Amino acid sequence: MSGAEKRGETMADKVGPTVLGKVVITIFVLALLGGAAYFLRDYIMPAGRGQGDIDLDAFRQQQGKVEAPDTAGITTVNEYAYVPAEKLPPVKGVSAYQWDANEKVVQFPINVWIGWLPIVAANNGFRPNEESIFFKEYGFKVNLKLIDDPVTARDAFASGESHVLWGTLDMMVLFAPELMKDSRTAPRIYQQVDWSSGGDGIVVRGAIASARELKGKTVVYAQNSPSQYFFNNLLLNAGLQPSEVNHRFTATAFEAAAAFVADSSIDACVSWAPDIYTIPEKVPGTRILTTTAEASKLIADVWAVRADFAKDHPDIVKGLVSGIFKAMDRLKDDTFRGRAMQWMAEGYGMSADEVRAMEADAHSTNFAENKNFFLNQNDPANFERTWKNITFVYRELGLLGTPVRFDEVMDFSVIKELDRAGTFANQVDEYRTTFAPTSYSKVQAEAPILTQTIRINFYPNSSNIYEPQHDETGRPMANTLYDPTVEATLEKVARLSGQYERAVIAVVGHTDSSMRGRGVRFEDVKQLSLDRADAVKQALVKKYRFDPNKFVVEGQGWNVPADPEQADNHALNRRVEISVYPPESQ
Amino acid sequence: MSDPAPDTRLRPPAVAKALLTIREEVPAWLRWGLGVIPILALILLWWMVTGSGPAEERVISPTILPSPLEVVRSFPKLWFERALTRNAAVSLGRVAAGFAVGVAIAFPLGLLMGAFTKVKAMFNPIAVFGAYLPIPALVPLTLSLFGTGERQKVAFLALAFTIYLLPLIVQAVDAVDDVYLKTAYTLGAGTWAAVRKVLLAVAWPDIYQAMRLGFGIGWSYIILAEMVDIGRGLGGIIIVSQRQGPREHIYLVLLAIVAIAFVTDKLWQLGGRALFPYRERAR
Repeated sequence: MSGAEKRGETMADKVGPTVLGKVVITIFVLALLGGAAYFLRDYIMPAGRGQGDIDLDAFRQQQGKVEAPDTAGITTVNEYAYVPAEKLPPVKGVSAYQWDANEKVVQFPINVWIGWLPIVAANNGFRPNEESIFFKEYGFKVNLKLIDDPVTARDAFASGESHVLWGTLDMMVLFAPELMKDSRTAPRIYQQVDWSSGGDGIVVRGAIASARELKGKTVVYAQNSPSQYFFNNLLLNAGLQPSEVNHRFTATAFEAAAAFVADSSIDACVSWAPDIYTIPEKVPGTRILTTTAEASKLIADVWAVRADFAKDHPDIVKGLVSGIFKAMDRLKDDTFRGRAMQWMAEGYGMSADEVRAMEADAHSTNFAENKNFFLNQNDPANFERTWKNITFVYRELGLLGTPVRFDEVMDFSVIKELDRAGTFANQVDEYRTTFAPTSYSKVQAEAPILTQTIRINFYPNSSNIYEPQHDETGRPMANTLYDPTVEATLEKVARLSGQYERAVIAVVGHTDSSMRGRGVRFEDVKQLSLDRADAVKQALVKKYRFDPNKFVVEGQGWNVPADPEQADNHALNRRVEISVYPPESQ
Repeated sequence: MSDPAPDTRLRPPAVAKALLTIREEVPAWLRWGLGVIPILALILLWWMVTGSGPAEERVISPTILPSPLEVVRSFPKLWFERALTRNAAVSLGRVAAGFAVGVAIAFPLGLLMGAFTKVKAMFNPIAVFGAYLPIPALVPLTLSLFGTGERQKVAFLALAFTIYLLPLIVQAVDAVDDVYLKTAYTLGAGTWAAVRKVLLAVAWPDIYQAMRLGFGIGWSYIILAEMVDIGRGLGGIIIVSQRQGPREHIYLVLLAIVAIAFVTDKLWQLGGRALFPYRERAR
C-alpha cells in the first residue's frame, strides 16, 4: 500500500463522520430518495390505463348515430349515395410494392380457414398458374400463400411483399389505424368472402347457461382476434361490464382451447372449430354456450388490398372480386367442389377429409349477399354497422386510439359496377333464415343465450313507440318524440338481432305495478305490455326487414319485476326484455 | 496512484505510431468514444431511412419502422398508459424467478456431472439433447403441464436457463486443474471435501461468469414466455403493439430490454468484483 493512501485513510478517520454518522446520513439519503419515489410513484411506476367501466348507455347511444331519426321507417333497400373515392384517403407518393409487370402475380396470403375455398377454387390451387379463372378471364395470376399468423401477414402487406391482407373485419379495425399512417398501405376492402357460421364459439364449464352467468367467471381467449370481439360483444349485449369477468389472454385460439382443457379453474374459452366441438365431447362437464352458427352475421371475413396497388391496378382488383364470385357459382358443382377441397388440402398440408370437416364453419357470401353487406344502408348487419360495432367494443376496451371511419376503408365501387352490369344477377341471397311461426312458450324450452334489457319510455297507456310529446292540455305536439332515444334503442336491438341472424328473438314487455290494487284489471295491463312488445317487433320488422317469425312477443304485465328486491321501483320495471334463443328451440 | 510503467513488450518498435496495434493499452475515454461511434452511425442510418418527412417519401415506411423521433415521442404513452416500469418489474421478476429455479437445478447437477464421470455419463446425453432443442417449440408443453399462469412462465424460463447453464457449469468444474486435486488428496482430503473445497472453490468464478452470461438469455425468451396469459410484462406489450400499434412501442420495449440487460450485467460485474477480487487483479 502506498503512503499516500495510508495518509488519506487516517485523515478520513479524523475529519470524516463517525461510523454512526455515516449510517445516519445513509438512512437520511435513502429516506429522501424513498420519499421522493413515493411522492412521484405515479410518474415512476404509473399503473397504466386500466379498463374502466363501459358506459352501457353509450353503447346504446352510439348505435343510434348510424343515422338521423327516421320515424317514417323504410322498407326498401336504401343504397349509399356517395362515391367511395370521395371518402377514401388519397394515395400519395410512389407505389412501394413488389411487382413484375410481365408476370403479373398477385401475392395473396390466407390462413387456414374454409372461407377461402372460393379463392383457392378460382385460382386452381395455391401456386400461380395459367389454368385459373383469374388468368383465363382477367389475365393475371395469383399466388396464395399460407400465412397463419396475422402479424406476419400484416407485416408482409405493409412491406409490399404481399398485395393483399386476409382478415376478419374486427382485425381490420385494429390494423387500420397503423396501416393508414402511410397512404399507400391503407387497406381497401372490396369484398366479403364469408360469414363465420359455426367456426367460432364459446365453450363453458359447469352450469353456465346464459351470458349473464359469466359474471365473475374466468374466460380465456386470444387477444386481438375475432374471439375477443365475439366475447366482449356478447357481454355488452347481455348488459355485463367486461370488467365483471376475469379475462385471460393467449396468443392464438388453439392455445386458448388448450388452456381451457388443461386448467379447470378457467370457466370458459372462446376458440375455433374443431376445438369448440371436440372439447364438449372429450371434457366432461363442458358445453357450448353459443357459436357463430347462431351469431351468424357477426364475424365477417374479408380481404383488403394495398391502396397504391388498388390505384395502379383497378382491373386486377375487379378481376379478383369477379373471379371469386365466379368460383362460388362453380363450387355448386360437387365434382368441382371436391377438386377445390383437394387443392386446399394440398396448400394447407392437410388431408382432404380434414378440409371437408371444416366445411360447415363458414358461409361463402355471394354477390347478392355482398351487395347487401356493402350497399344496403338498412341491413342490420352491413359493413357500416359491423365496423361501428367493432370500433365501439374495442374502443371501450381501451384497445383502440383514434379509430378509422368505415368509409375510409370500404370501397364498394366494384360491387356497384358489377351490379350495374348485372354480371352476377343470377346469385341470390342464400343466407336469410326463414323462421317457422312459433310462440314464446315454445322457445322458452331452452335457456336464452343472452337477455338484454332495453328501456323505451312509453307514454302512459300507449303502446306507440313513436308517441309524440304532449302539451299541458294533453294534445300531441308535432315533430316530437316522447322517447327521443327510441331510434337508438331500436338500432341496438336491430344490430343484436342482425348479428344473431339465425336465432329466435323474444320480445317481452313489462309494466310497473303502480296501478296494482287500484281497480285495474290485470288482463288489461298484460295486454298493454303485450301491445308494447309487439310495437317493438313491428318497428324492427318494418325498418330492418326482418322476418316477422324471427320474433316472438309476450306481455308479462307487472308479474316479473326487474329486481324482486325493488319491486316498487316503477321506472326500473317499465321495460322490454330482448332474449336471444338458440334456433333449436324453434 | 502512480502511472504504470510504459509497457513496450507487446509493441513492435517499427510500428510504434500505427493506428492499430495488437493488444494496445487504450484509455477509458477513448474506449467509450470508440464504442459510441457504431451506435451513433446506426441511429444516423435509422434516421436516414426513416427521416421525418411524409410517410410516402421515406425509404422505409413508418408502418414497418417508425423514425427515431417518432419512437422517442411515443415514450410518454408507453411509460404512463402502458405502464412500462410496472411491466418491466413484472418481467424482471419472472426472469429472476426462472433463473433461480434454473440455477437450483443446473448448479448441483452441473457440479456433480463435472466432478463424477459416472454422473456425467448418465446425464450428458440429455444435456446434449437439450442444447439442440428448439426451446420455443416447448411453449405448448409447458402450457399443458403448468397451466396459463405465472407458474408456466417461470417454468418455461427455468427450462431455458437450465439448458443453457448446465454445460457451462460442467465445463467450469471440468476445467479445474488436476494439480489442485492432487494437492488436496496429498493433504488428506476426502471426496466431498475435494468437491467442496477444491472443485467448487476453484470453479466458482467461472460458474459465476456463466451465470452472468446466462441471466441475459432470459430476456430473449421473455416474449415467448409471456405469449400466454398476456396481460402484464414487456413481452405482452410487444405482442399487443404488433396487433394494435403503435409500432413505436415495439422498438421502445426492445430498447428498454437492452437497457435493463445492460444494467443487470453491470450489477453482475460489480458483484463479481466484490466476490472474486483476485480474479479481477489477475486480468
